[in-house]
Amino acid sequence: MTNEDREIFEGILQAQAEGKPCALATVVSTRGSTPRKNGAKMLVDPAEGLIGTVGGGCGEAEVITAAGKALETGLPVIVEVDLTDDPLSWTGSVCGGLLRVFVEPIYPEGQEPNGE
Amino acid sequence: MSKTPFLTLASASAQLLEAMDAGEKAAVLALVSHPDGTRSGERVLVREGKLIGSFGDPVADEGARDLALKGLSGNVAVESGVYPLPLEEGGEASVYLELHHPSAEMVIVGAGHLAQPLCTLGALLGLRVRVLDDRPEFATRERFPEASDVRRVDFSDPFQEVKLHPWSHVLLVTRGHRYDFECLRKVLQHEVLPVYIGMIGSRRRVRATFGALLKEGFPREVLAHVRAPIGLDIGAETPAEIAVSVVAEIVEEWRGGSGRPLREVERVLERFTAEPEQNDGGTTDAGGGP
Repeated sequence: MTNEDREIFEGILQAQAEGKPCALATVVSTRGSTPRKNGAKMLVDPAEGLIGTVGGGCGEAEVITAAGKALETGLPVIVEVDLTDDPLSWTGSVCGGLLRVFVEPIYPEGQEPNGE
Repeated sequence: MSKTPFLTLASASAQLLEAMDAGEKAAVLALVSHPDGTRSGERVLVREGKLIGSFGDPVADEGARDLALKGLSGNVAVESGVYPLPLEEGGEASVYLELHHPSAEMVIVGAGHLAQPLCTLGALLGLRVRVLDDRPEFATRERFPEASDVRRVDFSDPFQEVKLHPWSHVLLVTRGHRYDFECLRKVLQHEVLPVYIGMIGSRRRVRATFGALLKEGFPREVLAHVRAPIGLDIGAETPAEIAVSVVAEIVEEWRGGSGRPLREVERVLERFTAEPEQNDGGTTDAGGGP
């Protein structure tokens, strides 16, 4: 396990201990040329910001938006990030593929929104 | 139907870190889609061949365990990624498999002057560095900014608390020979020895240590695994120099070098460049020369 991954998992446990909700984004599949591969993670803490990255800027905004939504609904989602046609990307050489990112909300114990 | 005891993301994370710290490989499996619609994010974990948590479906559990064991066995066909997971009632879910291996670490026992350059160089090599001492004023984060873990321990058995694993590199460099000896004895009691065990000391002290351990019944083959005195012979004197000699020995352990100067190993000058032409004959071609 890399130190980067460890930081994410420790971040999840710390958020739990502090009673803060956050969201985890994980790259679960890729196609074409993508900056990160399967398993790349980003922890989105609405209060304190990000740990890690799933794309180094490319398409990351979509993931952060999805994380916010997942925290509202309480439901995990899969976000498809298309890097093949990103007009805002000025790092065109690194992008050009397709990422599927699994985004999950994490709530402190006993604070999950009631689904049913 | 009873509630399924799956792992949450947080509980799976805790289990995973525990497995890594114990030096085990582990696989996490998370549902990313399920016909029920509401079950994504549920997790199970596989470590030591055992399934921890359950999807509440024996077919799915068995499939998850099989997939994880294939991945953990180093089977190249199964890498981290999304796989179909057949269900008991027919149909299938999608599961995301993630494989984890424990990271190589450097465990520095003794937080004195030598420990500081060791920590710096260990981190430079990409090792996760842990520093232990029984003196709180030495075991401080300020002294070891690159360390992942700095803690005060009892030298009578520091490895109760700080678990070693096969990818640990243990450096015994305490302030007292007696502590090095006691810690070494504890290290050698591990069923699977760490990949690198080094202990500092003069020839006399190392001899006393080995003598005592042999008397206690430690087999010679086990003691032969201990690098004592620690490091390669480069004439190191200062803490920084000794640290260089120690990490050089660690790299040698990884890569299998000889520890000798490459100049001597290769002898390029002697082997591949012609001697200047001499007039004493013998080695020149017949008929050569003006």
